[in-house]
Amino acid sequence: MKTQTYTLNLGPQHPSTHGVLRVVLELDGETCVGSKTHVGYLHRGIEKILEDRTYPQVIPYTDRLDYLAGINNNLAYVQTIEKLMNIEIPERAEYIRVMLSELMRIASHMVGIGIYIMDLGAISAVFYPFIEREKILDMMSHLSGSRMTFNYLRIGGIAHDLHPDFKPALDQFITEFPRFIEDYHRLIDENEIFIARTKKTGAITAEKAMSYGLTGPNLRASGVNHDIRKTNPYSIYDRFDFEVPVGENGDCYDRYVVRMKEVEESFKIIQQAYKELPNGPVMAKVPKLIKPPVGDVYHQAENPKGVLGCYVVSDGTPKPSRVHFRRPSFNNISIFDEIFIGHKIADVVAILASFDFVLGEVDA
Amino acid sequence: MYGKGLLKGLSVTGRNVFRKRLTEKYPEEKPQLAARWRGGFQLDVAGCIACGLCERACPNYAITLTTEKNEENKKQLTTYEINQSYCLFCGLCVEACPKNCLRFTQEFETATYHKEEVKLDLFKNQNLSAPASIYAQPEKATEAARKEDK
Ligand code: SF4
Ligand code: SF4
Repeated sequence: MKTQTYTLNLGPQHPSTHGVLRVVLELDGETCVGSKTHVGYLHRGIEKILEDRTYPQVIPYTDRLDYLAGINNNLAYVQTIEKLMNIEIPERAEYIRVMLSELMRIASHMVGIGIYIMDLGAISAVFYPFIEREKILDMMSHLSGSRMTFNYLRIGGIAHDLHPDFKPALDQFITEFPRFIEDYHRLIDENEIFIARTKKTGAITAEKAMSYGLTGPNLRASGVNHDIRKTNPYSIYDRFDFEVPVGENGDCYDRYVVRMKEVEESFKIIQQAYKELPNGPVMAKVPKLIKPPVGDVYHQAENPKGVLGCYVVSDGTPKPSRVHFRRPSFNNISIFDEIFIGHKIADVVAILASFDFVLGEVDA
Repeated sequence: MYGKGLLKGLSVTGRNVFRKRLTEKYPEEKPQLAARWRGGFQLDVAGCIACGLCERACPNYAITLTTEKNEENKKQLTTYEINQSYCLFCGLCVEACPKNCLRFTQEFETATYHKEEVKLDLFKNQNLSAPASIYAQPEKATEAARKEDK
């Protein structure tokens, strides 16, 4: 009997591609023998647009890169400009920035984990994390007036001081969150179906993960201890006590475990920052018209998805000559074509979901 | 025992069946929005000094306004339009306004049936009846304190 392979088009509108990723799979029966990932369906040309925006006007666009963690993108950009202009920002603003970045990390991982397990067929597993995420988005809307596109950080500090409604919401979150963690471990960790679908699926060795430039939880799941908050501390991360969780096998199960542990570490940082939160101003003295000196600067920050790098070239005018973002999701998904091969099509979906990428960031 | 993990997970579901309802019955129940909510816009034309700072602050060129000189040689508005289809709802225009006459409102149901309705003519329809948001507005308490200092 003669057999032949066939081509299957996964995406760009397939729900499990988390947006508009297109993967063309070459299948032999149910087994993947070849794969080609296509990106660019969400390309908005952000980097080109930014050449015609003033420095403060860039900030709202960064919200739209990894739209699940707007604050972290804001932070990477404003710190880049602060580095270029040598601006010292007030203590209180630093603490608030760290606190909000970690809240956003939790919110982003809540989506990452929830949707991941939903893609494996467990619908109820998405609701519990989304409840927690909803609380964080509500807190953020008290501060910035928006649920996802915050535009809250400014070059030199933050836009507005905390709103009185924020503190009770955070207090409530801090008391309720440990119960969620406990519940979720009970729900997922020993679930036989989840383990069967994810253990030994899509395993990536440490060498391979590094050679593809993976960062964030996807890299740490492979056992590489690399976190910019520790290796190259920015903001005031060196003042807090937290661990960097790493996995062992780099398979889909480890990617879940690392994210869950990271959420707990972020929760620790939030509590510490909230306890030590000083009083004072939230904006440094910056000129009305922001005109950095001629030069270029590169800055990295540890985003929920991985390392977000921001490169800015200034020609001394109020508009940047070039802004480039190293978007972690883009580098992370570069490994797909290699690791899909040899897996069944259902496992391909599991691997896609376990990577927790955001297309707004892949295509920019 | 195979299936023990599943049962353990099911116990979480069981416990949560008796928890308080978390969802809102929208549209019967309207959501409680944040005080700083960035939804629609309102413009107090009487307070506007036609400086054009809002127009220049906008990253996406969503605001167009025209002005003319009146008898006292003062600038005043003649038209004011925000094209919401270009708007990022970033709030930079509201922050830039020196007179705090351009404000956000707490409206959130801004979908329309026709494309023309997306453009807001704030000169003709100032939309002052909508509940205003306190986004980038001076806080009353701090204002009072500042006056006392003086
Ligand atoms: S909110 Fe932002 S995008 Fe919208 S009109 Fe104001 S400045 Fe322009
Ligand atoms: S910034 Fe305020 S005062 Fe100036 S033109 Fe705009 S709305 Fe009028």
